Amino acid sequence: MTGDNAFAELIHEYVGECLPLAEQAADGFLDVERRWNGGLQVDDVAPRLKGLVHTVKGNSAMMGQSAAAEVAHAIEDLFATLLSDASQREPATLDLLLDGANLLIELVRNAASGKTDSARVASWAGAVRALLAGQSAPAAMATGTSSRRAAAEGAIDTVRVDFRRLDALQEIVGEAIIAQSRLRDIQRRMVAHLGFTEETAELDASINAVEKTTQKLEDAVMATRLVPLSGVFGRFARLVRDAAQSTGKQVRLDTVGGDTRLDKAIVDRLGEPLVHLITNAVVHGVEREDVRRSRGKSVEAVIRLSAASVSDGVILTISDDGGGLDADRIAERARALGLEVNSSATDAIYPLIFVPGLSTVEAVSSLAGRGVGLDVVASSLHAMGGSITVESAPGRGTRFILRVPVTLAVVRTLLFEVSDERYAIPLAHVVETVRVEDGDIHEINHRGVVLWRGELLPVVDGAALVGAGAVGGDAARKYTVVVHAGTRRRGVLVDRLLGHRSVVAKGLDPALGRTRLVSGTTIMGDGRVTCILDAQRLVDPLPAHAATALS
Amino acid sequence: MSAPLTFLVVDDSKLHHQMYELVFSRGSLTGSTVLHAYNGREGYTMLQAHPELTAVFLDLNMPEMNGLEFLARRRADGMQLHVPVVMVTTEDSPDDERRGREAGAWEYLRKPFQPADIERTIDRVRQSAVSR
Repeated sequence: MTGDNAFAELIHEYVGECLPLAEQAADGFLDVERRWNGGLQVDDVAPRLKGLVHTVKGNSAMMGQSAAAEVAHAIEDLFATLLSDASQREPATLDLLLDGANLLIELVRNAASGKTDSARVASWAGAVRALLAGQSAPAAMATGTSSRRAAAEGAIDTVRVDFRRLDALQEIVGEAIIAQSRLRDIQRRMVAHLGFTEETAELDASINAVEKTTQKLEDAVMATRLVPLSGVFGRFARLVRDAAQSTGKQVRLDTVGGDTRLDKAIVDRLGEPLVHLITNAVVHGVEREDVRRSRGKSVEAVIRLSAASVSDGVILTISDDGGGLDADRIAERARALGLEVNSSATDAIYPLIFVPGLSTVEAVSSLAGRGVGLDVVASSLHAMGGSITVESAPGRGTRFILRVPVTLAVVRTLLFEVSDERYAIPLAHVVETVRVEDGDIHEINHRGVVLWRGELLPVVDGAALVGAGAVGGDAARKYTVVVHAGTRRRGVLVDRLLGHRSVVAKGLDPALGRTRLVSGTTIMGDGRVTCILDAQRLVDPLPAHAATALS
Repeated sequence: MSAPLTFLVVDDSKLHHQMYELVFSRGSLTGSTVLHAYNGREGYTMLQAHPELTAVFLDLNMPEMNGLEFLARRRADGMQLHVPVVMVTTEDSPDDERRGREAGAWEYLRKPFQPADIERTIDRVRQSAVSR
């Protein structure tokens, strides 16, 4: 990047000078945001802030760091607009300003390596351009053609909407889906009573049409709610810096995939678990400098935060190049908590860190301690229909893998019945459904298995899993629902399949307490509350009572 | 270039001082003396002490007396008016350039600049210094 720049050899001096300036600017903008939110003036700090950004811009341009120069320039423009026009001081715009400051920090920090997250720069700069063009459209129309074009592109393509309106819209779509499934229910009952008539067929066709339209509406509303993760990612650079400083470590944060988009409601909820995991990585994951040196590692540790879209959601990973998990110690602590640890396989031991009380490190540090363990991280992910798993290699590092759905609101599910109870399971976790014939279920080590596509698939009785209905007796289930999550698969034996259904997921009523296998509830067409099963937990190693219920 | 050249750089950015050092240690400018000041006030004190300066490179935005204040003070005091002052500005600030010229700058140098831009600017101020 700086290779052909005359001052390339001064790149470290550039970072040394500009990084603190960019950080001061980010702090300053936070202060400005607070003051504006409190209805206060910023006149006393604005000139210095402008100066900081201006210096970073000038220096970046001198060094041929064009992305940093461009971002600094856009920050100047955005800040000037906010200073002169109080009506522009909306949360989203202030977020944009802070994101920009964080982005600038990242760009300056990574200047020497030549790594630029150009997608993030482009998406941020695009948002700023759209915003500025939108607000200055009348003025720009009167001037040159190029600015007129820019203004037109921004002004026509972009409308800013209060997010609460999108929430309200989503609620309405949810109500429409519930009403529609009620209609479907009635239509089915009519068929059951009257048989197929011209009327029921017509009704069926009409409901089909409504369902298609609702689906489109749901997709369209969903699309408006998606925001890139870069907003939250941007804030972690400082978090890592501060945590590293207070623990006397050198840690760099690399982020990948900040342009991955998710429902804003999910992005907001992800903030806290990510803060926790990243702080943990710095404080507990990364070794002290002397230890790293003795292990032949670079003194500067790297924490990598990445996001990528997959078919049924988004996968986020947080990995560090630290010492890895200590399986012996985890097993020891688990036993101390009264848990059975039968296997010495790390695959069985590592997941124990998500058990309440286990991850709370004895010497609680001021940063990562906070009395919150990984169990809280795990349960907040489960609460949003996501999951978390961990991988680790001794001496090489630890990786947390988070899966989250793209949206919280509407879940496509498979509906089934077991012992006269209805359950829904997210379709994204269903591989297929198979009819069970007599003699298909074998018993190996007191656990039921079926032969499925040439492999032995562990199965469990649906009723036993969810603790409903009479276990045993005539538990000859007719179908196996093959569920997968992460790398594991499991068959769930059920009585009846009721078809696919888009449901509006509601959180669990706290009165129900912690329900191991249920991630949420939904209201069906007939007004009944149905539990949505947590696929990740379904495939987790079985508790003994469920496994033996088959025999 | 036979006579030894002496420059004063007035800039609050250490990086910029290092950049000037780099430029003045190479090519046709090798052997030049560079004086460093980190704000307008410091720079003004140095200007008072060095009538032999070939040119001053003056940054605009600085704490403790900015570039324009520096020029205003110099004009008011009639201080070393024969020494050419090059105003260092950013590319997108024509107003600054105008104000700088009005306040007595001879030339301006726009950021981002390359070593060749500095050399050209020095040639120009030396030409005009002769003709004034």
